[in-house]
Amino acid sequence: MQATIRNIILKLLALVATVAISSMVYKKIYWLPELKDQGPMLFNLLEFEWHNDVLYIGESSNYWIAPEDTDKRSISDMINDSLPGFRLSGMQVPAYHAGMFLPIVKMIDTHSRVKHLVITMNLRSFDKPWIYSTQEGALMRSKCFYYSSNPIYNRMCAALGYYPNPSAESQEQKMLQAFEFDTLKVSFPIKFNTIKRWCEQEKFPLPGGGEDFPKRELADHYIKAYAFQIDTSSNPRIKDFDEMVKVCKQKNIKLYFNLLAENIQWADSLVGQDLVYLMKENRNLLVDRYTKMGVTVVDNLESVPGECFGEKKWTTEHYNQKGRRIVAAKVCKTLKSALNK
Amino acid sequence: MFYGWWKAEFLLIIAFSTVLDFFCALKIEDTSNQLIRKRWLALSIGLNLGILFLFKYYYFFLGSTSWLQDLLSPHQKLKDLNEFFSKALPVGISFYTFQTMSYTLDVYYKRAKPERHIGQFALFVSYFPQLVAGPIERYTHLNEQLKKEHRILYKNLQMGFRLMLYGFFVKMVIADNLSYTVSSIFNEPGKWKYYWNIIGVLSFGFQIYADFFGYSLIAQGTAKLFGIDLMDNFNRPYLSQNISEFWKRWHISLSTWFRDYVYIPLGGNRVSHSKWIFNILLVFVLSGLWHGANYTFLIWGGLHGVFYLLERYSPISIKFPSLKLLITFMAVSFAWIFFRAENLTQALEVIKGMMGFLDGQRQLDTQPFIFLLLLIFGILELVRGNMRFDYFCEKFPAVRRWTLYCFLLFCILTLCGSEYSAFIYFKF
Repeated sequence: MQATIRNIILKLLALVATVAISSMVYKKIYWLPELKDQGPMLFNLLEFEWHNDVLYIGESSNYWIAPEDTDKRSISDMINDSLPGFRLSGMQVPAYHAGMFLPIVKMIDTHSRVKHLVITMNLRSFDKPWIYSTQEGALMRSKCFYYSSNPIYNRMCAALGYYPNPSAESQEQKMLQAFEFDTLKVSFPIKFNTIKRWCEQEKFPLPGGGEDFPKRELADHYIKAYAFQIDTSSNPRIKDFDEMVKVCKQKNIKLYFNLLAENIQWADSLVGQDLVYLMKENRNLLVDRYTKMGVTVVDNLESVPGECFGEKKWTTEHYNQKGRRIVAAKVCKTLKSALNK
Repeated sequence: MFYGWWKAEFLLIIAFSTVLDFFCALKIEDTSNQLIRKRWLALSIGLNLGILFLFKYYYFFLGSTSWLQDLLSPHQKLKDLNEFFSKALPVGISFYTFQTMSYTLDVYYKRAKPERHIGQFALFVSYFPQLVAGPIERYTHLNEQLKKEHRILYKNLQMGFRLMLYGFFVKMVIADNLSYTVSSIFNEPGKWKYYWNIIGVLSFGFQIYADFFGYSLIAQGTAKLFGIDLMDNFNRPYLSQNISEFWKRWHISLSTWFRDYVYIPLGGNRVSHSKWIFNILLVFVLSGLWHGANYTFLIWGGLHGVFYLLERYSPISIKFPSLKLLITFMAVSFAWIFFRAENLTQALEVIKGMMGFLDGQRQLDTQPFIFLLLLIFGILELVRGNMRFDYFCEKFPAVRRWTLYCFLLFCILTLCGSEYSAFIYFKF
């Protein structure tokens, strides 16, 4: 009996030792190179948090450059250049949203140099096409690498598919349902109270019959992207940003949300004032909500003129050098006053 | 529950197959009238294959027949139906359909007595470790074991966990690490130097083996925990010296199914020469089609048939076993190109890439340690010989055995592929 117990204990010890050695070897040799590929934002954080006063966390809007730009600096680089005496670095991964930024914020070491944090707040990240994006599964896989658990455990979660991985089909179905059934409730008479109806409306008729299809398609993109009202009780992005505020308070980090500029001019000319109203209504809600929570919201929504938007066939927050400078200047102004205090 | 977890509505299909075959088998058994027996068998086979056709082949068939498309396209409801069948493929449908069909056929040929308890029969059809990707078990082998009373035994746990450990190693460390090389090559064959195309094709041979063999080991191991022995699905297929031997070692449960329920009923080798050639080609093409509705699978099966016949009628006899092994491996690897490619164009691109016709100049940044791992896997496979891994471990004293377990666990934890990739055979 005693020999059997000893045997079992020895075997358990061997297993525990193997797991411990594997964990050490992985962390020492493989973790960082893998993180560079699979979880680039955490890879950057581990380096930046010890050398920067301010971190700028964002997505492709930070570094997108128009082909004709002579000034190829990112928004974060522009801010950094205008903040003498302080150091700011940008960390960005395309298509990331607040749900991806949150674990990174949680990972910031409280003893690090970072005391100010600028997070991009993308209005579109609150909409249904983004919430039910087919990319969500891939993002959630990346997110596994951002948890504070043991790196080898995080990696096993990613390798074994232990993360929410909704199928493209189910995401698309949810999005279409939202387009059909989520109604807009406004204080004035609105002609189309669902995205579906709004998109089905005839647009840009041509004199010879038919429609100007490219224009119509772009208008529909705008409707799908902006014709929504943020429900603070159920919108997942609200939950992410709320949590971020809480975490930053605990870590004693001053938080700024950079509400990104959207192409209001095109929204108006392609769809009309009803859509602009909804965009502004959502903006007001976000600014109010987070200002009350003690966050400085830099409202850039209407800052950038239409011609500064890089993409002409899609709704993105990609600005040319003039647009990036406008956004950077506004963030910089806010940061300067806070940093100089 | 296990099956319904993925998509509850597909439980209806497996339930239908179960009830259908349960009753058909009873009806076959209850009568001695050959004609009636045949009718019940035809009903069972017809409906089973009908369901399989609807979910797996209908959309492909529709896509290949433009006149039918034109005929159906004005009808919105039919269009919706087509749309549904284009997307819905119940996981493991080919596996459990073939398993239930083998049962009815066994009862028909009087090789088995029918099961009279529907719950027991349902357990045979839906036994979870092998439900979604095989092995395709025979009724006489599995049901007898399921009927026995089982207790949790240390020996079974020990053997089951050994198989699972090795299965996870093979799948997660070997197959998943090779998937990057393979998908990079197959996605853009024109981008890489010709030798990377060759490496990519050879890698796929090992990837699919490791993926499917790994699954089979995990399934066997899981069943063993409950005291159930599932059949071996692989026996080191790349050591085959000819195509015929390859099929005795590769996906054994499927190849024996086709042998027993298609090839032999067609007359086996006791038919005229020309009929035999036709039968061989038919069986191989059907086994290709079993994998999916695509011309690539058809060609893959057809190629194996042609290789088999070429071997049979080749005037040259090769004496060196290692050369025979190499030729067989090359032939099998060549056929894998069609199996892996999404369409014929992609397959032809890969072949052109291998021959250097695409002018690709880039080097693939594959980690060299993957090939070292492959070597370790190869050595393990050679050393274990014909013994199943759980029995192979028995040969060693505890210290050496545990050293091997710890090594495998270490490899799984530190070296497994970080991308989640589902088992390739789940889609069949």
